[in-house]
This record gives sequence, structure tokens and C-alpha cells, in this order.
Amino acid sequence: MNKTININLGGIFFHIDELAYQKLKNYLNAIRRSLSDDPKGRDEIITDIESRIGELLSDKVKDVRQVINESDIDEVIEVMGKPEDYMVDEEVFNDDYSSSYSNTRSKKLYRDGDDKFLGGVSSGLAHYFNIDVIWVRLGWLVAAFGFGFGFILYLILWILLPQANTTAEKLEMEGEEVNITNIEKKIKEELTDVSERVKSGISDVSDKVKNADYKKYKDKAKSGSQDVVDTLGKVLTTLFMVIGKFIGVILIIISVSTIFALLISLVTAGSIDFFQEDWYYQHFNIINSSGLPLWGISIMTFILVGIPFLFLFLLGIRILSNNKRSVGRVTKLSLLGVWLVALLMMLFFGSRQFVQSAFEGSVIEKQELAFLSTDTLDIKILDNENLSGESYLKHRWGYQLVYDENNVEKIYSNDIRFNIFQTDANDPYIKINKRSKGKSKIAARENAGNIGYNFTKSGEDLLLNGYFLTEIENKFRDQSLKIDLYLPIDQVVYLDKSMRSFLYDVDNIQNIYDRDMPKHYYKMTEDGLSCLDCDKNWDHNIDDSGSFKMKIDQEGVNINITSDENENAKVIIDENGLNISSSRDSIK
Amino acid sequence: MKIENTKAQMRKGVLEFCILSILQNKDAYTSEILSQLKDAKLLVVEGTVYPLLTRLKNAGLLNYRWEESTSGPPRKYYGLTETGKLFLKGLNTTWSDLVNAVSTVTKNNTNVKSTKK
Repeated sequence: MNKTININLGGIFFHIDELAYQKLKNYLNAIRRSLSDDPKGRDEIITDIESRIGELLSDKVKDVRQVINESDIDEVIEVMGKPEDYMVDEEVFNDDYSSSYSNTRSKKLYRDGDDKFLGGVSSGLAHYFNIDVIWVRLGWLVAAFGFGFGFILYLILWILLPQANTTAEKLEMEGEEVNITNIEKKIKEELTDVSERVKSGISDVSDKVKNADYKKYKDKAKSGSQDVVDTLGKVLTTLFMVIGKFIGVILIIISVSTIFALLISLVTAGSIDFFQEDWYYQHFNIINSSGLPLWGISIMTFILVGIPFLFLFLLGIRILSNNKRSVGRVTKLSLLGVWLVALLMMLFFGSRQFVQSAFEGSVIEKQELAFLSTDTLDIKILDNENLSGESYLKHRWGYQLVYDENNVEKIYSNDIRFNIFQTDANDPYIKINKRSKGKSKIAARENAGNIGYNFTKSGEDLLLNGYFLTEIENKFRDQSLKIDLYLPIDQVVYLDKSMRSFLYDVDNIQNIYDRDMPKHYYKMTEDGLSCLDCDKNWDHNIDDSGSFKMKIDQEGVNINITSDENENAKVIIDENGLNISSSRDSIK
Repeated sequence: MKIENTKAQMRKGVLEFCILSILQNKDAYTSEILSQLKDAKLLVVEGTVYPLLTRLKNAGLLNYRWEESTSGPPRKYYGLTETGKLFLKGLNTTWSDLVNAVSTVTKNNTNVKSTKK
């Protein structure tokens, strides 16, 4: 059953069924397009053709009530000829048109949506200039890297060029005649193409057929601005897509490498905990006061850091794959739960760790130094190289683990600060301020009291240990030592060079820096400590008073440095290797 | 190069000449012209003629008038103008020359071919 339509064809009235009507209409439209080169005569020709078709049809109609059907129209088209039969005429009779020219005549610049990498601009240009698309794409690459504006140009073309959607537009893009035969051919091509691409599915096929609809050709001049806006939208979407994919890749790389690194450290920490003899393990236990073992902290850290990165990884995967299916909700929630538990535990143990060092406490020991006030007090810092293994002594933060002479492991620390004050007493005395931290004031004071420190007096020398020891059970609690020397007025002291890094903010009249103070005599006066043998024009730079010689020949390198304080250093590199020697000591 | 194209072009080349010839004795409406051309097997499809008629008319070689018909709507009757008549005369001479030339050329060559055999 079909609807019928009443039409007036060249002044004759017809009943025509819907399919036949559509066919006739398409046919007339196609002819109209074939004649598009001659818009002036076109309407007249169409009118003539319509009357002729009317004549032909009325020959077939015996009864007024008879309905024109598709086969009638087919017969009429048979008699009248295909749309291109109307057109070839013009080529023959119009001398201006050579056949080769007519091939490129209707070529138009479109974007090819069927062969696109980004927007199909390249393939469109390739069709237009009749070259292989790969060259155009290479050209874009060069332009993008070479000049930068290539990218912008591409965007502009993308926005401005319409995409070839209908079959007619595609034919125009490829420079073929837009006629019914070619359109059919093209649709067939596309259909085979589509059927080859199994993935595309049926919807795609129907799209193609829809796109091929002749009506669309007529509407091709649809609002240009609309088209531009559409394309702009597509450009932005694709841009975001590309940027998104890039971010996805970065996310995956970062998260995978982080998780990998975490795994390695977890395994390492685990093995350290297992063997227990390890250096790191002992250090860890000295600092750790949270009550949580090393493996616990390791796993906790792994969970705390690893799970967020796992989520990042999943996010990256999802961006890249477009796969809507992700990890199940349950998995996500339980991961989140585990993470929260780990966070809470970490906070708990962290606060315990923190509480252990919440309070400071100190123990002060005062000891008289019985010297005659006229004597010069010679202050030195002594090291025990057997303990530290360090070749020089200096003030340091932190601690070391050492074994004392009884092979008992101790915490060895250099955090000692030395200062000099004035006193009204007759004899000098020393105050040793032991400091530490703890979970309460009392605990802190106990920790401070556990610091073992010694100094000795021999003759005029005050020999201070440059280190202090703590039992390992006391753990490291920021233990430190403050040694204050109180001098009566007129007492003279000599600061040995070993004092250099332990002097801390020692006030003196000459305002000499702590580091420059050693190797001089000082006298306590009413106004404070005063240097006895320092130059009036104190010069911080001592380098310009020495000499520096360097010789490089086939025997090797010989560097000789001499200062005016009769100290010299030599660096010799020869067949015996490296030899550094100075007036103080030598390293070979 | 397809033979159909060449054939069609040859046929169409003389169509203009034939239409003018049909109209030289009496005016005719489109269907009459078409049927004459079809009888002479000069025409495969009718569509070819319409753009041609319009072109000739626009070139001033033809004119037309509307005439009432007993069966159906008014018909377009084409006729030759004075220029059309002159044009036709010129074409006539060209055509006979062309026929002679072509037949001579083809005859000579077919003869050569047959003698060769």
C-alpha cells in the first residue's frame, strides 16, 4: 500500500504514488544539477522536460484514476536518458570546455572525513592537489616543527573547510562529475568499503546511505556559520582528546614507576627487617619510638603511597582505552578503606613518635676548675678516633653508632656547643648542660642524664671530649650538649685550633667570628673577652699572604702551597699515585 | 577512450544541424522533432535535445510560440529565424563537404587495406 500524491506536470494532472514521486523528483533534481552551468536556460529546459515527461506519462495513462508507479517513471527515464546525457551536450557544443578541464572544474576543497588522522584536512588537500596524502601529512609535520605556525594553519583550515559529508560533496572533492551514475558508483564503493570494515556495523551503513541522500546535495549551502561552529566544536573535542590521551600516558608512566619503586623499597625494607643485623635496621630502631616495627612502617607507607598511584594508574588506563568498564565499585571502595585504615594507623604511630620527643629536659653539672688566675688555661677538644673513625672532629647534627672499648654499642654524637662567660667567682668553673627530649619532662631529663660526657684537666690544659655517648636503649632523642666556661676577670685562655667548629656564638670585644677565634689568646676583662694577639686590622682573607706553585710535566703534577704561617701543603701525582702531604699530617 | 563516448559525440555533433533541418520546412513542436530524430535513429535518449533547443533559441537561431492543442496543455512550436536559416545554409555546405571528405578518406583507406590483403 502506498500513499499517492497529486502533481501537475507540464500542465497535466497526475496521481502518482509516493515512491514514484520521490524517484521522479530525484531525477529532475539530478538533471537540474547537471545543468547547473547554465542557470539562465536551466529553468526553461526543466519546464520543457517536465512537459515532455507529462506527455509521455499521459500516453501511459488510460484512465484518469490510474496511478503512476515506479516502473512508469523508469520507462520515462529510459526514454529521456540519464542526467549526464543532458550535460555532455554542453561539453560538445561549448567550445570553451575541453574534457580534461571539465574533470578539474568542479573540484572543491573539502575535508575528507573517511580518511582522517585528525580532521581530514590533509586528505582533503591531497584530493585537491591530486597527490598522495602521506606527502601532505609529512608537510604538516615539517611545518609544525619547523615553523610552528603549521599547527595554527592546520587548525584554521580544519575550522574553515567543510567536511565532505554527502556523496555529491565527496565526488566534488575528488574532482569527479556529480551525476547520478557517479553517485551510485560512489555509494556502492562506500558500501563495499563499509562491509569490509565489520566493526562499523549496520548503523554506519545506514549513515552512509543517509549521507548519500540526494536531498542533502541541495542543502549543501546550509548556513556556513553553523558549519564553522560545528567544526570548531569538533576541533576542540579532538584537541582535548589528544591532550587527554597524552595525560593518560603520563599518568600511567608515573604511577607504574612509582609503584615499582615502592615495591622495590618494600622488599628491601622487608629483607632488612628479616636479617636484623643490618646497619639500617639498627639506625631505624634508634630513631623509631612509635612502637611499630620496620616492616609495619614499610607496609603502611606502601599502602599509603601506593594506593593513590594505583588509582592514578587506573585513571590513565581508562583515559587511554575508552573502555567504560573499570575496576568494580567494591574493589575501589575496599582499596579506599584499606588506605584510610593505613592513614589512621600512620597518624596514630606518627603521633606516638612525635610524643616521644614532645618535651625537652636538661641536666646541668657544674665543676670547679682549680687554676691559679695567672695561669693560662689551654682549652682543647679531644677526639677518640677509635670510636668515630673520623679523621677530624667537628660539630655535627645527628649521631653515629659506635662500639666502645668494651665492645658495647653506643650512640655517639657531636652536637656540642661551647661558650665562654664572665663570672664574679674567684676560680673558673665549667657548666655542662646535657639536653634531651622525651615524652614527658621527667623522661626528657632522664634521657639527658643518661648522656655520658667526660673532660679532663691536666696541668694548664682543659681537655674536653669532642663527643658524648649514650646507651643504645635510650634511643636518639636529639641529645645535645652545651658547655659553658665561666672565667673570672683577668683569666687568660688559649683556644686550640680543635675548638674551631664547637665554638658557638662566643661574645668578644673584637667581634671575631667563632671560626676565626681559635689559635689566639684571650683575656677576660670587665667588658668581656678580649683577644690578646689578634691583628688590629683583622683580615678574614689569609690566602693572599701565601704562595702557590703548580708544575705539570712528564713526571706528573706537582702543586706546592705555602702560607706565611709556615704551613705548607703538597699535592704530587706521579707514577707512585696520589700523594698529599702537609706540615700537619699526610695522607697517602 | 571509450567507443560509446566517441559515438555519442559524433551523433550529437550533427544533432544541431538535423534539428535545424527538420524545422526548415515547417514549424514543429518538441515531440515532433523528437520522433523524427528517433525515427532516423539519431537519438537514443530524448533528454539530449532539450538543452540543445534552448541553446539554439538563446543563440537566436530558433524562436517559438505557444499553440493550443486538442489533447492537453498548449504546446511549444519551434521555428527557424532568419539567422537560423542562414546558419542552416552554411551548415548544409559544410556538411556536404564533410561527407565527401570523410567518404573519400574512408574509401581510400579501406581500398588500401583490401589491396594489401
